Formats: sequence, structure tokens, C-alpha cells
Amino acid sequence: MPWLRNIAIGLRSLFRKDQVDRELNEELGAYLEMAAAEKMKQGMSPKDALRAVRLERGSLDVSKEVVRSAGWESLVETCWQDLRFGLRMLRKSPGFTAVAIVTLALGIGANTAIFTMTNGLMLHTLPVRDPGQLVELLHHYPGEPEPGFNGFSWDAYQIIRDGNHVFSDLIVGAMNFFTVRGDKLQPQTVFGGGVGGTFFQALGVRAAAGRLIGPEDVHMGFHAPVAVVSWSFWKSRFDLDPAVIGKKIVVGDDAPLTIIGVTQRGFYGLSYEAQQDIWWPVSLGPSPGWGLGLLARLKPGVSLEQARTEMAVVFQRVVNVPDADPFVRRMKLRIEPAGNGVTTPLSQMLSTPLTVLMATVGLLLLLACANLAGLLLARGASRQHEMAVRACLGAPRARLLRQTLTESLLLSLLGCAVGIFLAYFAAHALIRVFASGRFIMGAPVHFEALTNPDAHVLLFTLAIALLTGLLCGAVPAMSASKTEPASALQQASRIGESKSRRLFGKSLVASQVALSLVLMSSASLFLEYLSHLRNLNLGFERNNLLLVTLDFAQSGYNAAQFSRPSQELVMRLDAIPGVSSATFSSVSPMEGPGASSFAFSEGHPEKRTQVSINYVAPAYFETYGTPFLAGRDFSAGDQAGSPVAIINEAAARDCFGNENPIGKNITLSHITLTKGERTYEVVGVVGDAKYNDLQQATPPTIYPDLLQQGFIGSQLAIRTRIDPSGVAGAVRQTEAAVLKTVPIVRIMTMNEQIDSSIVPQRLIAMLSAGFGALGAMLAAIGLYGLLAYTVAGRTHEIGVRMALGAAGTDVIRIVLRDGLWMVCAGLAIGAPLAFWGIRVATSLIPDLPVASPLPIVVAAAIMIAVGLLAAHLPARRAMRVDPMVALRCD
Amino acid sequence: MPDKPSDLVQGTLDMLILKTLALEPMHGYGISVRIEQISKGVFRMNAGSLFLAIQRLERGGLIDGEWKPTENNRRARYYTLTAKGRKRLDSETREWGRQVAAIARILEAS
Repeated sequence: MPWLRNIAIGLRSLFRKDQVDRELNEELGAYLEMAAAEKMKQGMSPKDALRAVRLERGSLDVSKEVVRSAGWESLVETCWQDLRFGLRMLRKSPGFTAVAIVTLALGIGANTAIFTMTNGLMLHTLPVRDPGQLVELLHHYPGEPEPGFNGFSWDAYQIIRDGNHVFSDLIVGAMNFFTVRGDKLQPQTVFGGGVGGTFFQALGVRAAAGRLIGPEDVHMGFHAPVAVVSWSFWKSRFDLDPAVIGKKIVVGDDAPLTIIGVTQRGFYGLSYEAQQDIWWPVSLGPSPGWGLGLLARLKPGVSLEQARTEMAVVFQRVVNVPDADPFVRRMKLRIEPAGNGVTTPLSQMLSTPLTVLMATVGLLLLLACANLAGLLLARGASRQHEMAVRACLGAPRARLLRQTLTESLLLSLLGCAVGIFLAYFAAHALIRVFASGRFIMGAPVHFEALTNPDAHVLLFTLAIALLTGLLCGAVPAMSASKTEPASALQQASRIGESKSRRLFGKSLVASQVALSLVLMSSASLFLEYLSHLRNLNLGFERNNLLLVTLDFAQSGYNAAQFSRPSQELVMRLDAIPGVSSATFSSVSPMEGPGASSFAFSEGHPEKRTQVSINYVAPAYFETYGTPFLAGRDFSAGDQAGSPVAIINEAAARDCFGNENPIGKNITLSHITLTKGERTYEVVGVVGDAKYNDLQQATPPTIYPDLLQQGFIGSQLAIRTRIDPSGVAGAVRQTEAAVLKTVPIVRIMTMNEQIDSSIVPQRLIAMLSAGFGALGAMLAAIGLYGLLAYTVAGRTHEIGVRMALGAAGTDVIRIVLRDGLWMVCAGLAIGAPLAFWGIRVATSLIPDLPVASPLPIVVAAAIMIAVGLLAAHLPARRAMRVDPMVALRCD
Repeated sequence: MPDKPSDLVQGTLDMLILKTLALEPMHGYGISVRIEQISKGVFRMNAGSLFLAIQRLERGGLIDGEWKPTENNRRARYYTLTAKGRKRLDSETREWGRQVAAIARILEAS
């Protein structure tokens, strides 16, 4: 093992430096003395002999240096020297160091934070056999914003199972979150679901204990009452007790299940952030619903495209059945790769924002690089003298290059360390925004997956830090090492710089301006979009509206018993000071889920309109502030009479055209809740109000009478005259007093609910605005730094000008012109880039306003203002140059 | 100057040191004296390149060093050929012979 020996000897000379040095001294000394003794034998005097030996054999010190510098350890040692010297240099200019580290920390931290989330959400490969072959089946309606639903009917399942030639396995797994309880188990909300008999087998998951669900547990029409839990659930809830097998566990309100096994360690189901903890056999059999989640494994050699082509044809057989509803006929199948996990509400919500933000932070880092390169370049110029002296003393060019690079790498690594720290907190802050999103609220999402950096993230960060260090350091290092000692020493009294270097410094500032123009214009675009969303006319009054979601599931109330206590609750809520009215409904706007159905209108049997449904109690429209256009509200008298409903303007137009709808009948079919048909008499028409999506046009909506239909409304809305948070406590008490067994799921204001429906948009707008401001600040620092340094370098010239009669304002003009020239060059480069960036953003986010030059103009104006501000200080300094002092300082 | 040391062909210094040590363990000065004597002063090396080569050989495991007293009561590091060094010397000597013969043939061919 020669290399082992080499390392051992090298380490010895590193760590026992003194001893090794002494030995080398002794050995070489003995050598030279012996040579001298030889000469003395031939009759030379000791002094002459030593001199002759030195001439012939080389001096002790030179030989020692030759021997010592050959080992690998001497490289380590000089690097260590460079490092210590670099640290000393950084400590000597704390201002520069602080600015550089903060710049880099912001750039690297932003990248790390966003990458941590991208990594947690999109880059985790499922711990199953051949994850690359897994695909997810989704059905969707073309033109709708949702990416699709993973739910299929029994018929669809059979047709897909029997009709395809591209899948080796069709895996049934319908996932959701459920409350799980059992003896000695606190109720807990976990992800889980019913799975088909081949689920674990097809995924290639083994059992850590007991056995997993197999085909024998799934029968037509019912399923064996068994369950399998995850290893982490086994550990956290049962402390890895082998006696877990055979224990009973209750999921939701169903019959108890017997635990038969535990999955292998590390298996977390089908999505990293929505980790599953419990599975039970799905019951297969004819049913009208679309509730079967489907995954499939592609046969070896079958491409995704082949599968998509074949399945599009197969799926036609699913939707083109003779009595299919036209709604179903429009459905299309989507097949998406699922090796990194299936679509979840969180990944649906965040994948586009994260893509946009990843691009943004990439630009930000580039900007930080340009900024730091500019700073290093200016610093390099002021250290020309030092470099020249070192070159004169015999430092090789490579050594000088390495020294400069060491310093920039040192800066980038320090920035990286601070950046990781910042990213951790930034990620936690962002998580709070994510968690407020609808469909996410209350779900047991593994958010730590999105905030805890793993090895991938740390590697990514280290890589970008090193890249940044090299990128920032390369040019200044080259220019420093190219210094001609003679000319540098001559000019040392006046900081000299070549024309090309000055041009390079200016182009760095211009590129920073260009990059921040891109950042600022996209930020202004997203902010404009967000403000557009927030100021949309919703059709109801969003302020001073408190929403309370109730959970009747365990309360013992049935629909028939609901009417009286609900009316009592409304009466008592109305009496709370500050409350002007209160009401119940089945859906509250922008909450998320809704119901829809097809409506036939009296006198137009051929017309079929898809309408959204919301069952509402009296005073709903008064409470929400939606105006009546015709007819009347529900009254207590309606409860005993024939079915009545109120429709919105869009429904009136779509169902009845120009006719007066009041008094006409409208019939709903395929109603989500009842599956039957029902006819209502229209008693009122109200203005259009948004249903569950801010961005979509208001759908035709029908509001049947909640109390008359005998439904439970779990959405309580309270209109207040004061700040809604002021009555929340009183509302809570009143609710608890009237509906003793009904827990409140959440209380939030309408504005909060609206915000929770636009989390992705808010996230993009907030962050891109932050990054835009940061970018502008960095560009300002860059511009200021360069101008300040140029003014310092031109003190002499400015002194001469002033001595020759230039006024202070002339000098200011020179500096400002210099600065503005750079800003304008940057704007000229940045404008097309920004325009292109906006085009890309518009293609990623479908309902963004059409690309217009306005955001770019706004951003350019801001950049010019920022540029003038940054140039202002150096210009003032230039004006205050005293000609006498300036000319004397040479 | 006729006795100005010639530049050694790259790598031959290692072979010469190995050859010298094949006879008996020796210290650095002994090695250089022996090489100079046998080459009749054609190869004279300075201390730097000699000890550089010695360091290289020692790290490569071809020779071992050991401190011992010299004849005139100094301490010096004596180097011994290892089994691996002996093998290397054999193969390098063979290779050297082949190359010299080949070069000689080319030079005589004209």
C-alpha cells in the first residue's frame, strides 16, 4: 500500500512539523558536513570547504525547501496558509466582508429555501419497486383549472382493467384522511385508504410484521375487516410492540378493523408529504360513485406516450355509454408519472408557484454573484499594490490566483452557512402560508418534509455556494494575477486601472440592473394580479363577515332535529352586540368543495344547464350582502309549503332567457346529495356571487331552502358591524350553549377564507415582491460601490477639473451621468429579458393578465430612481473634493 | 566545464539510487559519493534533488530509512532496499537494458 505509506508520512510531517523539520535539518546538515569534511581532507580550510560545498551541492535552506515542497502535505499547508491569510484579510475590512456575506447569504438562502420545498414536494422517489414505471390515472374536464381527480367508477375500473395492453398491474388505492381511534389510542387524523388486493404486491412492499393485505381479503361487495399500519405508526403509537397484530382499530365511523400486519420500514404510501399510516381492503363492486383511486405499473418497454394513446381510446368506452350524462361524456383521461409520488392537494397547490419561484431565486443568485464579483473587482484593484509586491518577491502567478480564489470561496462558504440558517427560518415562515391553504387546512401533512434540509438539499447548497465562489472570484482573480508588478508599483500611489477592467466593472453593474429589472417587473406583474384578485367584485360584501364551520358528524343530530336549534342559535347570535345578522348554509363561498347538478327549466325541456347548488337558510343573502334583483327571501312559512328556491342572475339568464323566472319551476337531476330529481318553484333572483373559485366566472347557481329541504347546514355566517374578531368569543360561547354536542371546526373571517383559496398566487406575489426589492437593493449596492470607488480613484482628476474652474454641479453631473449610463445600459439589456420572462410566467399561470409592457415600465422607473439614489452619495462626495487637497495627495 | 554534472534522464536517478543501495545500506552522502565515483564524476547531484528522490522512494515503499550513528560519531539516516525496491530495480534494469540496446541499434544503423 504505497499510498497509505505516503499518507502516513505526509500526516506525520503535517502534525509533527517540528520533529520532521529537525530530522530533515539533521540529515541535510550531516550530508553537507560530510561533503565539507571530504574537502578539508584535501587541504581546504573549513570556511572554504563549506563555501565550496554550498556552491556544488546547494545550500541547506534551498534543499530543504525543495524536499519539503514536493510532498502532498505542502499543498495542504499552503492552502491552510491561504485560508488563514484570507480570513485575516476579511477581518481587516469588516464592512466589505459583511456586505459580501449578507449578499451571498440572501442569494444562497433563498435558493436553499425554495429548493428544500421543491425537493420535499417533487423530487422524492417513492420507496417502492421500480418507481419509474408507476403512473397515476386522473380524469378531468378539458378547460378546467384542476389537474384532475384520481377517482373512477366500478365500470371504468373494469373497462380499464380488461381493455388495456400497456399496464402490468392496475393498483387500486383510494386515499384520504380519516380519524383513527382504538382502545388506548387517542383519536388521531391520519392519511390512509382502501386498497385493492394487489396493492402491496404490485408496489413490491414487504411486511415488517404479520402479513399485508392480499387478494384473499378483497371480495365482491364487501371486504375482510382487517387493516395494515405503517412502520412509523407502529413505532409512534404501539412502540413496536409485536402484539399489535390482532389489535382492533376504528377508522372514521366504520366497524372496527383487526390489524394484521405492518409495512416495511420506510414505506410511506404514495406521497412524501401526505404520508399514509393505515390501509384496509377496498370493497369492490358495482356502485354509481367515482371513488376508486387508480395507479398502474407500465409494462416493461411501454412508454408513457404509448400508454396515453391507448388509454385515451379505452377511456372513450368508459364515457360513451348510452345513458351517460353529458357531463360525464366530456371527461378525459390523464396519465401522469407517479414515481415521485401521486398528486396531492399540496403538490397541486405548490408545483407551479415553486417552479416560478425557483426561476426567480436563480436570477437572484446570479444577481448576487454579479454584485459580489463587482465588489471583489474593486477590492482587487485597491490591492494591486499588494499583489505586485508579492509577485516581485517571487510568488508564482498560480499562487496569487489561488489566494484570490480562496478568499472568494471563503466568502461564499460563509455566505452559504448563513444562508442555510436563513433558509431554515424562511421555509418555516412559508409553511405557515401553505398550511392556511384550503384543502390543506387541518390535513395531517408532513410539513417537516418541506422544511428540513436533507442530504440532497445540503449538497445542492454547497454546490451553488462553490459555483458562486468560483464565478465571483474568477475574473477578479485573473485580473489580479495578471498584474504586471512594474507598472503596478509605479502607479501604486494613484490607483490605476485598465480600461478593460473599468468596462468590465460597469458591465457587471449593468447586468445587475438588467437582472433586477426582470425580477421587479415580474414582481410588479404578480402584485398587480394579486391586487386584481383581491379587488374582484365578488357579488357579496367580504368585510366584517365571520364564518364558522361546524362538525355535526358525532353530534347525534339528524336533519329533522336541526331546524329548531339552528333557528334558536341564529336568534341568539343576532342578539350579540355588534352582530347584524346570522345564517346557515351548506356551502360557504371560496371554502372549496361544492355541489352541482343539471337543471331543466319549465317551458324549455330541451335546455339543460349545469348549475352549482348551495342550500341556504333565510337571511343568507342579507347576511352576505348579495342584493335581490327580483322576488323575495325564504320565510318561516316556506318550511311547510312546496319546495322553493332562489336563483342567481346567471342561472336566470341561462335557464329562462329573457322570461321572468319568478313563479316558474326548475328541476334538478343527478343531485350530488340526493341522487334523485327535485323540482323547485323560483321565488327570488339575486345578483351573481362567486361560488368556490375566485378566478372562474360566477357559475349559474341555485339556492334551495335549507330548512325546508331538511338538510343540516354546517356553515354558519355572521355579519358584524364591528371587527369580526371582536365577536368570535361570544359566538363560540353561544354556539356551545345551543348546540352542546357540535364542535366548531374553525372560525375565520371571509377575507381569511378568500386568502386561503389563493395561497399560490399570494405566495408568488409576496415572494417575488421580496426578491424584486432585494434585487433592486443589491443593484443599488453594486452601483454605489462602483461609483464610490471610481470617485475615489478620480479624486485627482476631479481636483484638476475644479482647479480649472469646474463648478460643483458639473462634477455632480459627471458622476450622475456615469451612473445613469450604467442603469440605462442595464435597462436596455433587461427589457427584452423581462418581456420574455413575463411571457414565460403567463404561459405557466394561465389566468395571469396578458403580457403588457406596463410592469416593465414601472420596474424601469423604480430602477432609475434607485440608480439616482445610489449615485447621489458618491456624487456629493465628488462635489466636496477640495482641489488643493486632491492635488497635494500625490 | 567537463565535470559539470549531466542532467539525468527523468527517472534514472531513482534507478541509480536503488542500484547503489542494492550493494549495502547507505546514508545520503554515501549514495551520492558512490554514484559520483562509479560514474567517474559524470553524475553529480545537489542535495535537493538527491533527498527529493530519496523521499519519493521512501514514500513509495521501495526503500526504508533508519537513524544510525556514522563512523565519525554523527547521526545519519541509513537507507535499505526493501523487497519491493529490489523487484523494481530488477524490472527497471531490464527495461533500461532493452532501451539502451534499441537506441544503440538505431544509432549504429546509419
